Amino acid sequence: MDVAEQAFGNELDPGAQASGGTMQLIAFSIGEQVYAVEITTVREIRAWSGATPLPRTREFVRGVINLRGTIVPIFDLRARFGAGLTDATKNHVVIVMSVGEKWVGMLVDAVSDILTIPQNEIHAVPEGETMDTELLKGIVTHGEKMVGMIDLPAIVAGVKTDVS
Amino acid sequence: MSELDEFKATYFDECAELLGALEEEFTEIEAGDRSAERLNAVFRAIHSIKGGAGAFGFQRLVAFAHSFETLLDHVRNGEVELTDEVVALCIRSNDLVADFVSAARNGEDLPDDHGADELARFEALYGGEDGEPLEEFDDIEFEPVMVSFDGEPDGSGFDDFFANVPMNDEPSLSGKGITIRFRPHAALYQRANDPLLLLRELATLGDVSVAAEVDELPGLAQFEPFSSYCSWTISLAPKEGVGIEEVREVFEFVEGDCELAFSDEGPASPMAGALADDETLPDAAIGSIVAGTIADTSVADTGSGEAEDDSFDALSFADLAAAIEPAAKAAEPARPEPIETRSAMTPPSAGSTDNGADDKAHAAKPAGGQSIRVDLDKVDRVVNMVGELVIAQSMLTQQMDDHLKARYQELVRGVEVLAQTTRGLQDSVMAIRAQPVKTVFSRLPRLVRELATKTGKKMKLEMVGEQTEIDKTIIEQLSDPLTHMIRNSADHGLESPEKRVAAGKPDTGTITLSAEQAGGNIIIAVQDDGGGINRERVLSLARERGVVGPEQTLTDEQIDELIFAPGFSTADAVSDISGRGVGMDVVVSNIKKIGGSVHVKSWPGKGTRVQLRLPLTLAVLDVMLVKVGGAPYVIPLSSIVETMQTRRAEFGEAPSGRRMLRVRGEYLRVIDLACAFDMPTDTAENERFVVLCENDGRSHVALIVDDIIGQQQVVIKSLEENFQRIDGIAGGTILGDGSVALIVDVQGLNSIPDLRPVAA
Repeated sequence: MDVAEQAFGNELDPGAQASGGTMQLIAFSIGEQVYAVEITTVREIRAWSGATPLPRTREFVRGVINLRGTIVPIFDLRARFGAGLTDATKNHVVIVMSVGEKWVGMLVDAVSDILTIPQNEIHAVPEGETMDTELLKGIVTHGEKMVGMIDLPAIVAGVKTDVS
Repeated sequence: MSELDEFKATYFDECAELLGALEEEFTEIEAGDRSAERLNAVFRAIHSIKGGAGAFGFQRLVAFAHSFETLLDHVRNGEVELTDEVVALCIRSNDLVADFVSAARNGEDLPDDHGADELARFEALYGGEDGEPLEEFDDIEFEPVMVSFDGEPDGSGFDDFFANVPMNDEPSLSGKGITIRFRPHAALYQRANDPLLLLRELATLGDVSVAAEVDELPGLAQFEPFSSYCSWTISLAPKEGVGIEEVREVFEFVEGDCELAFSDEGPASPMAGALADDETLPDAAIGSIVAGTIADTSVADTGSGEAEDDSFDALSFADLAAAIEPAAKAAEPARPEPIETRSAMTPPSAGSTDNGADDKAHAAKPAGGQSIRVDLDKVDRVVNMVGELVIAQSMLTQQMDDHLKARYQELVRGVEVLAQTTRGLQDSVMAIRAQPVKTVFSRLPRLVRELATKTGKKMKLEMVGEQTEIDKTIIEQLSDPLTHMIRNSADHGLESPEKRVAAGKPDTGTITLSAEQAGGNIIIAVQDDGGGINRERVLSLARERGVVGPEQTLTDEQIDELIFAPGFSTADAVSDISGRGVGMDVVVSNIKKIGGSVHVKSWPGKGTRVQLRLPLTLAVLDVMLVKVGGAPYVIPLSSIVETMQTRRAEFGEAPSGRRMLRVRGEYLRVIDLACAFDMPTDTAENERFVVLCENDGRSHVALIVDDIIGQQQVVIKSLEENFQRIDGIAGGTILGDGSVALIVDVQGLNSIPDLRPVAA
């Protein structure tokens, strides 16, 4: 990747991005599929080292970890997509991101790349399945492959178990 | 925030403190202490409030405080007798001053006639005619003397002072004269010589005109209190027969300690020409400057000899400023105080008018403990870091196995010292946050007075243990609950005077407010000597409202606890019952929020006691570490009653499959944390443990956990900061190994329905 372009991309403010600039994404994989989040939301990437389970929460809330003295919840993205719990090992990765004021961690299989995508190449998610349109805010193409852009606030929403 | 706003904020802080102190003074005065010292303290406090109010232009506060102060002055002089009636008026006026202060703080307008009655009574008492008219007071312009504490290398620091000194531009020299240049060395002051006396002596020899040269005064940052900066040029038109020798004699005793130059020429000399350019000060102003300088020197001399204390410097300047400003006399005492406070209060003090004598008395008062104001956030940051340090230290200690201990004895010793120091550090830091409960207690006498007026009952408030210290955050949460509790005691606890007399009690009811430390807790209790809770009435009302089922039978204690039930505190319940009910559920919820518990005890015909049990601090929690389904949980030690093994516990089963635990003849609700938290466990049922916890402060509940690991101290971390609230979990904490443990919220578990045990 062009270094100058990368630096330039970092300095773009959201307004400039919206008006036809580029945006940078961190790409990661869950199984074979690649997803991405905006690089500006990423705070830290760390290896999985276990989490304390949180009672009375949905399955995809893997628990909480200690991030330098603050407690940060970890979401299992595979489980969030309804594909079962990740069998997490040391080789799995937690991406710590900020969602509004809060910091959350996403458990994924591996971080693969940093992508620079022109703003006007973000495709809408085709209608048809609520989960997809809810959890993805767009689709981009990288290396002839589809990359789903994760909608973080949607991932974090609805974490409590329904008390019947 | 502008500088003025900062001054204002400081002023209101001061007012709050002064009002608190006044409340105390009046409590003593009301109790019969009519000593001059008390009156002076009251007078000073009111005066300080007035002074600041004047500087900020709070006219109504100034006006009222002024009249109040005038009355107090008359009382002090013995012109008005301090009868009980006058004391009551003073106490009422004190409340009004508080009203005016809070109105000024919030920018509100009080009704025009607020305090009018009291003003009229003041005037009736002191006759009005010799009370300094208010208009005159209003006319005095407050000109705050701003003292810059920034280093100003260009030496302009004193310009502001001298700008206020009336200058006489025309040296009044007669035809022929002697010109004297007099420049004292520091040694002159150290030998207790006073230039003013020398100048006066010179004045006896003929007409003098004196010019002070202050150009050498450095900026405040460079100012050395022990140095001498001023010099004088004196033009003397000698009387008949006075020659240069007589003039020299005046300076005889200081000759070695100053530079002296005499010239016998007339006014046309170059010296006199230079003089005309100089600013010539009137005698009185010079006196002030000299007096100020001397005061500095003498104060310093009586001290340890080294005035290195910053506050001392600040003080000298303020006094010097006040001394030079002819319109203002220094009103503030010469006691060491934090710079921040001092500098903020300087403008008001410059505006005082008539209290020279009082100032001296104040100055003579021994210096109290020094204090500084620190932003609470800064303290909290330290508290948090110390918390982390405690965790790190306990982690180190845990790592010390026998092998290490045997091999590295120095290391072991080091870790032990570290442990001790850390604990000491933690205690000290907590002590910074701790405040005496007095800060919240001091607002309550006024409440009781108001309640006495409203209810028409006679009552007095007694306070015990006001010096008991407790964490500031907890103190802040106490105001509302205590207000509710006192109101309850006054409204519903105490009987009318007639009823009391009929019951053989004194007609004045007593409400006792007490605070004491008991282990890791603070016990705060409100006790009255009223009629006690009318259990019959409470119970029937509870049944009416469906709080208690028709078949339920309750013990006396359980009935008493009903006053805390939420459904019980509606408005008509208040007017209906002779028991209690105003917002007691608010008390419970507020106290629970800060980790405390509430208990009530009642003795029919003799009174009621509502007791708060509060943790000493919110920052560190003593807990028991347990395991549930392989995950670590901690249970606050303060809520644990006892623990036992499940195989020793006696369980029974209800039709739903729910288990009950029999402890000393009582059947308790059992909550299996593995079920409640849906954490499957593989620990055999009879290997598990029962943790008996206090629930709601009245009943007990049995929690079942997989294992008990031990006790430790933890720092509470928020789950909501990055996540959200979970029922039954009060928060998280970080253990010695860096992992997160969850804090069990025993009361919060109530909202989780019981589930059948997960098949083991």
